[in-house]
Amino acid sequence: MDKAILLEMNNIEKIFAHVQALDRVNFQVRRGEVHTLLGENGAGKSTLIKILTGVYPKDGGQIFMEGREVNIASREDAAALGISVIFQELSLIPTLCVYQNIMLGKEFSRFGFVQAKKEKKKIADLIEYYGFSLGVNDIVETLSVAQMQMVEILKALAADAKLIIMDEPTASLSSHESKLLFSIIDQLRERGVSIIYISHRLEEVFKLSDRITILRDGKIAGVVEKNQINPSEIIKMMIGKSVSEATASRMLRQSEEETVLSIQHLCCLGAYEDVSLEVKRGEVLVLTGLVGSGRTELIRAIYGADPYDSGKIELEGKPYQPQIKKAVAEGFGLIPEDRRTQGLSPLLSVTGNVALTNYDKISSKGFVSKAREEELGRHAVRLVDLRPPNPNVLAGNLSGGNQQKVVLGKWLTRNLKVLLIDEPTVGIDIGAKDEIYQIIETLSQNGVAVLMVSSDIAEVLRVAHRIIVMREGKIAKEFHTGIVTQEDILMASSGLDTEGEV
Amino acid sequence: MKKSRADIRKKVFSNSRIIVLILMCIYLTAATNGKFFTYSNFVSIMYSISLTGIMICGATFPVLLGGIDRTVSGNAAVCGAMAATVALYFNQTDIGAILALLCGTACGVLSGFFHGIVLSRFAIPAFLLTLATNEVLYGIVQFITGNQLINVLNCELMNQIGQSRFLGIPIPVYILLISFVGCYILLTHTVYGRQIYAVGGNRQAAELSGIPARRVIIIAYTISGFMGALSGFLLSCMNRQASAAQAQGYENDVLAAIVVGGISLRGGEGTLQGALLGAILIGVMTNGLRLLGIDSIYHNLIKGVIIIIAIAWDMLSAASKSGTTKNPLAGLFTRKKLREG
Repeated sequence: MDKAILLEMNNIEKIFAHVQALDRVNFQVRRGEVHTLLGENGAGKSTLIKILTGVYPKDGGQIFMEGREVNIASREDAAALGISVIFQELSLIPTLCVYQNIMLGKEFSRFGFVQAKKEKKKIADLIEYYGFSLGVNDIVETLSVAQMQMVEILKALAADAKLIIMDEPTASLSSHESKLLFSIIDQLRERGVSIIYISHRLEEVFKLSDRITILRDGKIAGVVEKNQINPSEIIKMMIGKSVSEATASRMLRQSEEETVLSIQHLCCLGAYEDVSLEVKRGEVLVLTGLVGSGRTELIRAIYGADPYDSGKIELEGKPYQPQIKKAVAEGFGLIPEDRRTQGLSPLLSVTGNVALTNYDKISSKGFVSKAREEELGRHAVRLVDLRPPNPNVLAGNLSGGNQQKVVLGKWLTRNLKVLLIDEPTVGIDIGAKDEIYQIIETLSQNGVAVLMVSSDIAEVLRVAHRIIVMREGKIAKEFHTGIVTQEDILMASSGLDTEGEV
Repeated sequence: MKKSRADIRKKVFSNSRIIVLILMCIYLTAATNGKFFTYSNFVSIMYSISLTGIMICGATFPVLLGGIDRTVSGNAAVCGAMAATVALYFNQTDIGAILALLCGTACGVLSGFFHGIVLSRFAIPAFLLTLATNEVLYGIVQFITGNQLINVLNCELMNQIGQSRFLGIPIPVYILLISFVGCYILLTHTVYGRQIYAVGGNRQAAELSGIPARRVIIIAYTISGFMGALSGFLLSCMNRQASAAQAQGYENDVLAAIVVGGISLRGGEGTLQGALLGAILIGVMTNGLRLLGIDSIYHNLIKGVIIIIAIAWDMLSAASKSGTTKNPLAGLFTRKKLREG
């Protein structure tokens, strides 16, 4: 196999508002190679990919494709050079069939009439060449997610892609479908197509990659060949030794307070199974692990937003049957995963949003007291320190951080016993993040039991009193005393801590 | 908090519909040599919109939830037929009239309740469901009436409701005002009203906040059914009869007024006073066209154009509010460019 260099990126630099997102990054992809980009969130992976695909202009450095210096200013430029991206959210038209989707925008036509026969022949040949299990006439919406990814890949191949970028392709696949994808990747590699692979699932990365480039804080932390792969070395490279101990690890403490919420053997088919845990008064218990490990479903079930199959939930020692209305009355609160679609009503003001959970306090006999409502709005604005402190602005017009503060305000104005939080700081700037952590800290000091889901390890180490790592719907590991480090959590969540499973 | 006069002035002038209404009134007054600007003409405008106005008071609720209720006319027809049948059965006595009102509106309530149950539980587009069930309702009416007029000529109480005036103003106008005030208070001063806007704006967030979204939807369609039926009862009182085609086409006038009144069809946005203002705008326009002596064959055409303008206005303001594009037409061009690439 020809192992000549296909792509070479030299000394790539990118600066966003005085922040060096990429600092003299060198990156090479060989022909017919699966090359993984690894790094924590914010390490610069997606910035690098966006420069390669023409979404962002680079601020310095050179890109060579097949030895020739190229200038990539748009997605079209990238496609013309044979660089294709398989997007996480698939960009297919569900009602059209496979060949129509693949040929979309580049139909064979004569006198304005589509030559369907010729198109089908071309696609059938492609499918046969790569050995995919797919029919040219299958309607896309009837396909499985893995098959849809095949169509996406074929779309790239039909456009003569030499380099395919896959960004977290297994995030929405079952383990069986993932295996199918891996065999497709193998076939592509054998036929000389290069792949840039991005994933947080270390297991599959180690299995699949020919080489791994590790990015940290916008710099290359190392490039590893397949035969030199050593999991704990790579995790160390990702985290870096420069990080101070204070943020890279946390001293855990076990609470002696009484148990507020207790869950026993909770099961929900396809999401999580046999989960048992307890949250104490004033404790912050964090559920971490990879996306899709069943954490969100679990806390939604506790809140009553989703059903579960079997198991028991107890609130303050008494059996509890979850149901949203009852949950609100009993002192539960939920900060949902997606504040825009689940947390906020964007057309309502800040006050209107805070009122959503507080009608019992601001109304009598079904009539709302305007004065009490406005007082409530002002109170919430003070509690979460909204800036500017205007309770009348529409929630949809606020920044991400302020929106999350409004969602917090909905619950802080109530007497909470248990607050369930799901990824509270996604897409929020650092300053607002810190304020949200402080609010959580204050809540716990006031005796609220907090059960929080987070994938951001720095965040987990910042707020957790106790940590449970979930993997594929089960509790993989619990950290309750002593010092825990980023490395421990990463190892546990990717399943590398238990020998033999790798 | 007390509103200053400047506040009110600002509110009036920021509402483009009021400005359009005032300009239209000034123009019509001048163009008709003052024939437009008389007390009796205003009363007749209000009388002409009273039936659709009452329907609007109800039909606004589903629209605020992001749904739609096209059965207001069907409910009116069923109610009219039912009421006429009951009134005749009781020999057109006063008791009979009251029972007619109760039975008729009960039909509307039942119909609305049914739609609420179905639409809150299943993800069926409200437009399609109510399009179909409106046909069903007219089918039921034909069955009740045997496809013939039911005359209720001698029911004293019904005649009085339909024909008489109090202080020079017809009774249906009073009923419109009462309906409006009732629904206005419900929407602006009660928990239920807040819940309507919450569910209409973002149902998921509302449900996760503990708001019983299903109940909110069921009540909304029930109110809409009741108001449609009430309007149908009045129509029977005014005409002294119930017909199989009673109120047919009213649903379009109602939706037109709601859209012109600035209620977003996506839900969560708009006010009842806006919707009523929309009805008044259309009423004034129709009245003006007649006074100006414009042939009635042009009326529908002009009304249609006005509705298109209102929808375009709604889209423009939504686009500028979301901040993505200043102009929805701009979106067309960028999309085209992408396709070219």
